[in-house]
Amino acid sequence: MTPTQWDDTDLADALEALRRDEALVETPPQVETTVLAAWDRAHAPRIDTRPRTLWQRAGAIAASVIVAVSLGQLGRELQRTTQASAEPPRQSRTLLLVGEPILQGEPVRVVRMRVPASTLIGMGVRSAAGDQAGHVDVDVIVGEDGIARAIRVGM
Amino acid sequence: MPDAAIEDLGDSDLMRRAAHGDRDAFATLYRRHHARVYRFARLMTGCPNAAEDIVQEVFLVVMRDAGRYDPTRAALTSYLYGVARHQTRRRLARDRQFVGFETGASDVTEPVTEGDVTATLERRQTLQQLRRAILSLPRRYREVIVLCDLQDVSYSEASNALGCAIGTVRSRLHRARHLLTQKMGRAATSEEDHQRLTERCA
Repeated sequence: MTPTQWDDTDLADALEALRRDEALVETPPQVETTVLAAWDRAHAPRIDTRPRTLWQRAGAIAASVIVAVSLGQLGRELQRTTQASAEPPRQSRTLLLVGEPILQGEPVRVVRMRVPASTLIGMGVRSAAGDQAGHVDVDVIVGEDGIARAIRVGM
Repeated sequence: MPDAAIEDLGDSDLMRRAAHGDRDAFATLYRRHHARVYRFARLMTGCPNAAEDIVQEVFLVVMRDAGRYDPTRAALTSYLYGVARHQTRRRLARDRQFVGFETGASDVTEPVTEGDVTATLERRQTLQQLRRAILSLPRRYREVIVLCDLQDVSYSEASNALGCAIGTVRSRLHRARHLLTQKMGRAATSEEDHQRLTERCA
């Protein structure tokens, strides 16, 4: 089988023997598992993300609507507040700045609260607009961070 | 589609189905062609582990680019050999050296029986020498030997896979066989000298 001087026939025989030998070689089974797992990984997200994407889209639309409505309400409220402060007061009112100044365009909320007159006195404000129980209605202007910017008190 | 029916489909139909996400079609393609890709890669690299990686890479390419396969240009086997060749070149460039066959690589041969122990051992030794000789060939010669002489690929298919003319395949094959004959002759002479030296020392 192993000639000392090789010629074309010897080589052809050896190549044929090697071909037969190699024909018995099989791919290890774990390769198929790996390849098909890669297929599953590549195709599974497409199936899974589709409903999630739809939900995400629906959620995004809903969130956009809520934000738009809230901003509109805040804008109208701010406009009313601004107009109200621009109008001549039907009753003398004092605006107390209690925190950071309101920035240009900053969304604010106006919250009406009933506080004890003594609290206002503690702040150095005496109001005659209190009820018999000694409570005064005040408008607290709250910034979007939840911190009060100003308090409007009827005098 | 039942398994029997999908098994009957041609390669181009399976590729089209795989391109549309049909897992069974892809699995059928794999089972139909993995062995030839593995053997090609194994003979080209001399390393079973590298061959496994190459098979995976080849079928990942098939998975990704199944839609781009054009059956009018080449048979799927040529396409797969082309991809395998590309992946093999990348692998060899990365490793920058050939890794020898593992000792278990020739375990698939028939067991040695009492009567033909010497002949079988000689045969195994010759095949091992031939594998080494093939691995030592320049890549362009190794490719044609592996495809045409060891994988029974036609010259036409080989030319498609290698991206060269049929005449080039023929001339490379002729040159490759000539180089192999020389290398095997030298290996045999070297082995004979070694045996003579061993006998003299004994």
